[in-house]
Amino acid sequence: MTEITILGRGGQGGVTLAKLIATAFFKSGKFTQAFGVYAAERSGAPLQAFVRISDEQITNYNQISEPDHVIVLDRALLGPLTLDGMKSGGWIVLNTPESADALVEISAGRRVATVGATRLALQHGLGTKTVPIVNTTMFGAVARVLGLTLDDVRTALGEAKLTGANLESATTAFEQVRMLELRPAPEPILNTDEPAIVATNGAILGREQVELQASETPRIRTGSWATRRPERRELTPPCNVACPAGNDVHAFLRAMHEENFDGALSILLRTSPFPGVCGRVCPAPCMQNCNRRFLDGEVNVRELERFAAEHGTRPSAPDAPSRDEIVAVIGSGPAGLSAAYQLAKLGYPVTLFEAGRELGGLLRTGIPPYRLPREVLDNEISYILAHGVCDSRGHRIDASSLRRLSQEYAAVVVASGLQLEQTMELRTDGADVVLNGLEFLNRTRSRALELDGAKVVVVGGGNTAIDAARSALRAGATTVHILYRRTRNKMPAISEEVDAAIEEGVVLDELVAPMQLRSDALGPLLTCVRMRLGEPDESGRRRPIPETTEDAYFDVRCDRVVLALGQSADSSILNGSQPPGNIALTGFGGCPIFSCGDFANNEGTVSAAIGSGRMTASRVHHALTGSDLLSPASPTIASYDILHPALFPRMREHHGGVVPPALRRRNFREVHLGFEGEAGIRQVVEEAGRCCSCGVCNGCDRCAMHCPENIMGSQACGHSYDPVYCKGCGVCVTECPRGVLEMVAIEKE
Amino acid sequence: MSRMLLTGNYAAGKVLALAGEANRGARGCASGAYPITPQTEIIEVLSDTQFTKGRIVPVESEHSAMGVCIGAALAGARAFTASSSNGLAYMTENVFCAGYYRLPIVLIAVNRTLGPPWNIWVDQGDSLTLRDAPWLQFYSDSHQDLVDTILMAFRVAEDHRILLPSIVAMDGFIISHMQMPVEIPDQSQVDRFLPLCDMPHRLRAESPSTIGGLTWPNETEKQRRDIQSAMERVPAVLREAADSFESVFGRRPDEAVVPFDTEGAETVLIASGTMAQTLRGVIRERRKLGEKIGMLRIKMFRPFPRREVLAAIGGAKRIGVIDRNHSPGSGGIFWQEVAATLQPKHEALVQNYIMGIGGGDVRPAALNGVIDDLTRRSSATDPIWKEVAA
Repeated sequence: MTEITILGRGGQGGVTLAKLIATAFFKSGKFTQAFGVYAAERSGAPLQAFVRISDEQITNYNQISEPDHVIVLDRALLGPLTLDGMKSGGWIVLNTPESADALVEISAGRRVATVGATRLALQHGLGTKTVPIVNTTMFGAVARVLGLTLDDVRTALGEAKLTGANLESATTAFEQVRMLELRPAPEPILNTDEPAIVATNGAILGREQVELQASETPRIRTGSWATRRPERRELTPPCNVACPAGNDVHAFLRAMHEENFDGALSILLRTSPFPGVCGRVCPAPCMQNCNRRFLDGEVNVRELERFAAEHGTRPSAPDAPSRDEIVAVIGSGPAGLSAAYQLAKLGYPVTLFEAGRELGGLLRTGIPPYRLPREVLDNEISYILAHGVCDSRGHRIDASSLRRLSQEYAAVVVASGLQLEQTMELRTDGADVVLNGLEFLNRTRSRALELDGAKVVVVGGGNTAIDAARSALRAGATTVHILYRRTRNKMPAISEEVDAAIEEGVVLDELVAPMQLRSDALGPLLTCVRMRLGEPDESGRRRPIPETTEDAYFDVRCDRVVLALGQSADSSILNGSQPPGNIALTGFGGCPIFSCGDFANNEGTVSAAIGSGRMTASRVHHALTGSDLLSPASPTIASYDILHPALFPRMREHHGGVVPPALRRRNFREVHLGFEGEAGIRQVVEEAGRCCSCGVCNGCDRCAMHCPENIMGSQACGHSYDPVYCKGCGVCVTECPRGVLEMVAIEKE
Repeated sequence: MSRMLLTGNYAAGKVLALAGEANRGARGCASGAYPITPQTEIIEVLSDTQFTKGRIVPVESEHSAMGVCIGAALAGARAFTASSSNGLAYMTENVFCAGYYRLPIVLIAVNRTLGPPWNIWVDQGDSLTLRDAPWLQFYSDSHQDLVDTILMAFRVAEDHRILLPSIVAMDGFIISHMQMPVEIPDQSQVDRFLPLCDMPHRLRAESPSTIGGLTWPNETEKQRRDIQSAMERVPAVLREAADSFESVFGRRPDEAVVPFDTEGAETVLIASGTMAQTLRGVIRERRKLGEKIGMLRIKMFRPFPRREVLAAIGGAKRIGVIDRNHSPGSGGIFWQEVAATLQPKHEALVQNYIMGIGGGDVRPAALNGVIDDLTRRSSATDPIWKEVAA
């Protein structure tokens, strides 16, 4: 009886090779037996198959432990234990491009035949580039070695319906196989540190087996077999992409979770001087885009930012400007202050021009103190000024003074915001009934307007409208209505602010537009018309159209009408030319002039203004020194579908305290209290810990823990692993909760 | 008849298809089919078969697979299916049902270890769990024996003196996935060997009746005793079937027990499945050395062939029963049966060896170790677990 052992890997076709050999001998009248050892049929797992050939009926049904011949489909599988028990004088038939002479160390006492079956299989298109199937090619070589003919090869392949390329490749191998005859040697010289091929038992039942599991996983070299390997992806969390200020939200949350409030604040201060402001008034696109919102609610970044601003220590500002070029910044709103701050951090002396008496722009005049207390704003402005920013107040810069500035300064940044309020003609008969939104906010804030017992109507759907409505309540109004010509879900205002206004008693009248204001004996009357939504306009929103039915018109009794319809830039400072985005104009002597913030782009949020200020500072620096611009990256966003939701325990959202509507609606004290006290710290750490770290490794080491080969290094070293042992199983990718890794194909040459 | 190289699964699938097709002149054939390693290929072969009158019904579980077979058999079709391991365990409720309905269904059990821990390799524990069901049980030891036994199983099961379903078991992977030469009969031969399936109590639309309703204890007891009587008639019916088989196919199939070299043997080993094949080679070698040693392969486990076992053992002094199965708290299940058969009437020492559990590779060296132990033994002890290769 002749016994043959085949060593291969799951997917290489070793069992089929056994059957082909058996078929060839069966056809010549022999008794045969062909079988494999089936196990976890993981692609690439070591596999054995056996062939028995005999002149008599075969009665052995056990596996072969002392083979006459050994066929090896993957060179990496060859080791002393794989040849253990092999009888002397037999053939080792090996898939390798090496010549048989090169394998003298394993040929002791045996005969060796080699054939480059992988290359031949690829040339004949057998399998794929990542998974070449070598069994039929090896069959050609084995047939030659075992004394079969090419006819036998053709017949056996034909029985298995393997013709065409399989037959061609087998024929080539039959012709090319290199055979090294027996070399006598007293003792085989073998590399004894070769690891054993041992099947691992995945079962864990009972103490003994648990202990078995805890021991080192035996390592098996992968050789040429792996078809895929894990690779770290370059992904950016959606919060970071969404933040208009450019904050590294992800790194900030990680520092917060580590209770490193100083570090967290420093991360924010790299990109924004206003964490205390943004921690209160930012619409938080980071939260709107947070992947966690699909699990159990977005991470409360806004209130964490506020906490960092209140509890972190700000790094000290640089002593004195390090550069000579002085830069003028016109306007002290968030964009101007952000530009001044970033320029100062770059070492420039900065002069900040403000037409009014106080710095802060819309942060001071537009946002009521119950949302943004003045001392928070003052503190952050002081920190900016401490960086070497000089301020010049009470100077309104116009086109001619801008020309003068361009002679005196190395560069000028125009961040004068939106100075022109949009209004509408309501044909009032002169009564002091109609006010514009910003003016109304100014007057209520400074208590210059008493509204005791008044009925107030606010027109508009932006944040100014909501602020005006809530300020009206605080100034004593009995009823406050907001008229909005579209529906609630189309309002540009921050949704939470709309909720808060309604909680306080503001009435929102959707799909209503004012038409005409008149007065009768009882006082002013505002005629309104009901609207409906028609086809989308150029902004993509459905255009409001007046209803034409008879009952579409109605009167509202009111004492005040506040028009909060938005603002636009006053471009007269640039001699009427349209504010040209962020592109530099050239003033006298080549002085570059940049526009910045709402004046340039009308984005309308604090965070966008902060981002614009930072980008403008970078452009100034580039214009003056040739340094690299901050490039607006186009990152690949780590979207929700790369996360593995089942691997994130559900966690409750945490929110800071809020003053109840009844206690807040009649005063200008801050509504939101933030996280407070010891419990607040615990909540903050937990809330920051809800961050999924989308697409970014946070060192959780699940990949390393679950790697069946135990070869993944700790993530401190960046997902390094030993490719010699990686089988490409993909468990690390499946076990990564946050989609950091992906499998990529390995193409064979 | 053609001689082919086939795996056990393909051979079983082809023979089931031949048997099913052979009933095309009557009520046809049907199978409820559900896959489980290592028997899935049987279902695949059946699903690829075009029957003149028959259907393979894919279902959502083993329980339903047997349900389809029950329904088909009650309607008079030749019904068959296959399963393994936990699949058989899940099928069990309906397995009992089929037996107590006296439906001549044939079930191929590709023996696989019951989990957990998860294991796909051979262990007879799955089908032996059904030993107390009213089913015949056969354990094949080779590809040819498997083919022959399936045909015999239909013949005996459908015989009006028996009318009991039948399990034909094979070693998972060792037979199911091993390719060996095997003779597959032609359709015309199978047609001659298997009479058309004629279920006397099949349901008929023209004379409506129910089956399996509530019975009193005395009626139930009678039904059980009828089944016992039918079981007792099996050896004679099996012999008749073997005679008929020989006349149709020209060779005699293995029957309930297969003695080998038992003539004058002082030591007799008892085994089943492919272990018995490997053991045969070992016994042959030791006989050549002059040892008075023989073996007995038990092929039919239900009904347990007491008379045949006693006759084959003769005057042996030492009996070693090798089990690839284990009943926790007792020992090997074949050993229990052999011991119960011998003890009142026989003086021999009976020792149980448990080996190859969970699919361990039983090599000749391990079997020689068992024989060495048995021949030196002066008294029996508790079942001995013999280690084999992983």
